[in-house]
Amino acid sequence: MSDFAIDIRDVVKRYEEHVAVRDFSLQVPRGVVYGLLGPNGAGKTTTIRMILDILEPDSGAISILGQPVRGTKVLDRVGYLPEERGLYKKMQVRRVLRFLAELKGVDGRTADARIDEWLERLQLRTAERDWGLAKVDELSRGMQQKVQFIGTLLHDPDVVILDEPFSGLDPINAQALKDTVLDLRHRGKTVIFSTHMMDNAERICDSVCIIANGEKVLDGRVADVKAEHGIRNVALALDGGSRDSVMAVLADRSLVARYDDENQYFEIELAPGADAQQLLQRVVKGGAALSRFELIQPSLHQIFLDRVGAKGVEPGMSGNG
Amino acid sequence: MGKTFVIFRREYLERVRSRWFIVVTILGPVFMGAITILPTVIAARTHTSSSLANVIVLDATGTDLGARVAKSLAATTPGATAPRVKVLTAEQLSASEDSATNAVIAHQAQGYLVLDASTIAGTGATYAGRNATSLTDITTITAMVRQNLLDMRLEKEGIDPGRVATLTSVRLDMKTDKITDKGREAGGGMASIVFGYVIAFLLYFMIALYGQNMLRGVMEEKTTRVAEVVISSIKPNQLLAGKILGVGSVALTQVFVWIAGGLAIYEFRGAILARFGIPAAAAMSVTLPSVSPAVGVALLLFFIMGFMFYSSLFAAVGAMVSSQEDVQQAQMPVTLLLIASIIFMPAVLANPASTIAKVLSWLPFSAPIIMPMRMSLIAVSWPELTAVLAGLLLACLAAIWVSARIYRVGLLMYGKRPTFRELAKWIRMA
Repeated sequence: MSDFAIDIRDVVKRYEEHVAVRDFSLQVPRGVVYGLLGPNGAGKTTTIRMILDILEPDSGAISILGQPVRGTKVLDRVGYLPEERGLYKKMQVRRVLRFLAELKGVDGRTADARIDEWLERLQLRTAERDWGLAKVDELSRGMQQKVQFIGTLLHDPDVVILDEPFSGLDPINAQALKDTVLDLRHRGKTVIFSTHMMDNAERICDSVCIIANGEKVLDGRVADVKAEHGIRNVALALDGGSRDSVMAVLADRSLVARYDDENQYFEIELAPGADAQQLLQRVVKGGAALSRFELIQPSLHQIFLDRVGAKGVEPGMSGNG
Repeated sequence: MGKTFVIFRREYLERVRSRWFIVVTILGPVFMGAITILPTVIAARTHTSSSLANVIVLDATGTDLGARVAKSLAATTPGATAPRVKVLTAEQLSASEDSATNAVIAHQAQGYLVLDASTIAGTGATYAGRNATSLTDITTITAMVRQNLLDMRLEKEGIDPGRVATLTSVRLDMKTDKITDKGREAGGGMASIVFGYVIAFLLYFMIALYGQNMLRGVMEEKTTRVAEVVISSIKPNQLLAGKILGVGSVALTQVFVWIAGGLAIYEFRGAILARFGIPAAAAMSVTLPSVSPAVGVALLLFFIMGFMFYSSLFAAVGAMVSSQEDVQQAQMPVTLLLIASIIFMPAVLANPASTIAKVLSWLPFSAPIIMPMRMSLIAVSWPELTAVLAGLLLACLAAIWVSARIYRVGLLMYGKRPTFRELAKWIRMA
């Protein structure tokens, strides 16, 4: 049996005008939370659709839990939440859920029991009201998101694929999603999600793969990726005033390779050969009052900028989810 | 449990459970009963209430023709205002017409009839009135004038008036029987035309209705992105198959309920018409043309394949569009094919043996509607019927093949509606 939850080998997907995914290989170990990161249009959704056999790669092979996706029933063990979400509006919630479960080969009775469990767990069934008996379009947007989420997990999948799961979630549902992802991981399931919000990924993922323009930029455990990029970053926060003098120091290319204004603080990457002490002296000499000066690991966002460069950054992208 | 069946069951149950389906299914037979029974009732009622007798007869013939016609007109509605006869000379005619016109305007009469020398010559008469556009009224009045003129002429030739009545009274009912290859069928003629028309229209209606239903369903799945979740569990072809089977079964369910309801109404037509005061004998004269089991199967096949042909095309259209605004234009080519059959229906009805009727009953897109119509009007040989069904089957498979490819690609494409060139590309790349 393969050790990988998902094993992608040399996959290529071309469209008429461009190559969406190019010689892409990826091995996702079992039982981890895996982030597929990249800006909009990087090829994340295409990759996910190929994993789910919705699209067929032009070349290369994809297997899940050691079985090829095509011609086996392995996809019944996968749960999928697409980026754009919706349900049959006029259908009763319970019936939608049973339908989704049966499509994955769960029999009706088992599905019913699990639906009860989930509805209660996500507070869609309370003493006052059983939303399971309502029609989908009677539910609020937040409730519909919960229903969709239940639909993804109802067949107790071993691999869960979430495409941009945090987009459009209210904070309460985002928290519920985060809790559920971690719970799945503790139960030995594999969760893969795509996002262009590096912050979320950094907090939840064990491992990540960054893709841009259809190609893999890097992959590995988050800790390894960060270690590889060395501790060459400084977080610097000012205690009011003296911003101009600091800006002059930051503009010195022999000292600072790049900086990112995070509003509350600057994340600064030191120039090759430069030293953090040097930076501190210069800033203090300039008369700045500091509230924070800390050596930090680079954020995934910084690493991404470092590796992909500005050309990989598109308007839709942000470092702060 | 097969996944296609899961799709089928959802498509079927969600539709059959809907209020819309229940209402239409129940109202269908009521409506059909109404359109078969109402005309009989209305015909029976209107006959007595018609005020044919309430007319002014201007008689400038110098004979008693005016009085004779007035007597006949009075007989049509006993108890109503009797016709008033004015005997006058040809010179007085125009002045009298003016005053008669005023009488009609003042609602004192329904109209006036002018009899003059040309009437006696057998060439003309004039009627002016509020009911001048009523074909049946004018036909009746014309027949009465003609009959009385004939009576008068015969009496002039010295034939006894009593004999004239018996000699000229010819009440002729043309009984029409249809002759097919199997021989003579009683009650064929008119009933066949009605039956053929009803069948063709019902087929058109059901195919259009459920084709549209299919289109909306596919579009909903696409725009809400449910389709994406579903096709991560099941192949698009299975999804399409499940949908066509599901929606088709809903349509069949409805048709069977309607047929059962229609037969029940037919069975109890005597009792129903009796409630409206129509004698049972008249009700019993309504007969259904006999449908042999073989013809029944052929009709069913035409419906099923016609539905599959059009619903798969409508499904492809549903997968092509991303917004309500695009639907109208995108479905135009498919709708035109369907409407073409309806446009030619009267032509086929008028002459089911014509070349155009034959060609339309062979072409796959119109065969499901025109062939059943032709079949109920004239005999179609079994080899011809089999060939048309086989052709339709091939066309059906081709439509499903093309649609499945458009469907597969279209479900994941959002935004602009594809051009025909892009569609061709989709079909190739799928």
